[in-house]
Amino acid sequence: MEEKQISEHEGLLLIQQMIQTAKKEQKDDGKGWIIWGWMLFLASILTVMNINFKWFQTFFFWNFFGVITLVALAYQTVSYLFIRKTEKVRTYTKDLFQRLNTGFFISLMFIIVAINVNISPTIGFSLLISLYAFWILIYGSALNFRPSIIAAYLTWGIGFVSLFMKGFEQVMLLHAAAVLVGYIIPGHIANNEFRKLHQRNKVVESV
Amino acid sequence: MFKDLDPILHSQLRLAVMSLLIGVKEAEFTYIKEKTGATAGNLSVQVQKLKDVGYIDVTKQFKDNYPQTLCRVTSAGIKAFEVYVQALQEYIKK
Repeated sequence: MEEKQISEHEGLLLIQQMIQTAKKEQKDDGKGWIIWGWMLFLASILTVMNINFKWFQTFFFWNFFGVITLVALAYQTVSYLFIRKTEKVRTYTKDLFQRLNTGFFISLMFIIVAINVNISPTIGFSLLISLYAFWILIYGSALNFRPSIIAAYLTWGIGFVSLFMKGFEQVMLLHAAAVLVGYIIPGHIANNEFRKLHQRNKVVESV
Repeated sequence: MFKDLDPILHSQLRLAVMSLLIGVKEAEFTYIKEKTGATAGNLSVQVQKLKDVGYIDVTKQFKDNYPQTLCRVTSAGIKAFEVYVQALQEYIKK
C-alpha cells in the first residue's frame, strides 16, 4: 500500500477491509472453553461414579481438579509476568476479557471457600453454575457470539433447577449438563467457525 | 451540497491506518506495517502526518531492550473519521 489519492468507493472498501482485519484480532478459537468445559465435565461425571462405586473420598476428583487448575493458573501467571508473548495489538475486548476472567476466578474461589467453610456443596455447586452462566453471557455478548448467549440462559435454567435437588449426585449430573451446554458445545462451535475463517483467510491470502 | 472530504484521511495509506486503529485500543507500528503492506519509511511519514493533526497518539518506548512504537487513535481522530465516513456515504448516494 502506498500514499495515493483514492475514489470514494475505494475509500469505503478500504475502511471495510481494515475493520475486518482488526476484527480478526477479537475472534476466539474456543479452545479455552473446550479444555475448561471438559475438565469440569469429567470431574462431575467421575464424582458421580465415585459416589456409586466408592473408589475414593467423595470430593477426590474435585480436589484433583483443583490442583490442576491451580497449577494452570500459576503457569499462566508466570508466563504473563516473565515470558509474556509480545502482543502487537491491544483491543478493548481483550482488556475486558482479562478483567472478566480475574473477576470470575475471584468469585469462583469465593464460592469454593464458602463450600469448604460454611455452605452445603449442593447449594455451592448451584451457585457455581450461576457464575458460569454470568461469565458465558458477558463473554458471548462481547464477542457477539449467539450460541454462547443462548447457552448462558440455558445454563442459568439448569442452575435454577439444581437449587431444588436434594442429593449431591443429582446436582453433579446437572453440573455436568450445565458445562456441556455452557462451555463444551459453544466452544466446539466457536472452534469450528474459527478454523473455517482461518482457512478462508489462507485461501484469500494465497490468491 | 456535499461536504469536502478531509484531505488528511482521503489518502490510501492514512485511511488504512485510521481504519485499522479505529477497531483496536492500540497497535504497534510493526503490526500496522504488516497489515497495510506499506514500507516502514512511507508508513512512518504518514503516521507522523496523522500525529501532527492530532488524529493519533504515538508513544515511543523500549520493551525488552527493543524500541517499540505504539499508535492509538485520539478522540479528535474518531470524530474526524466519523465525519469522513458520513461524507463518503453522501458522495456514494449521489
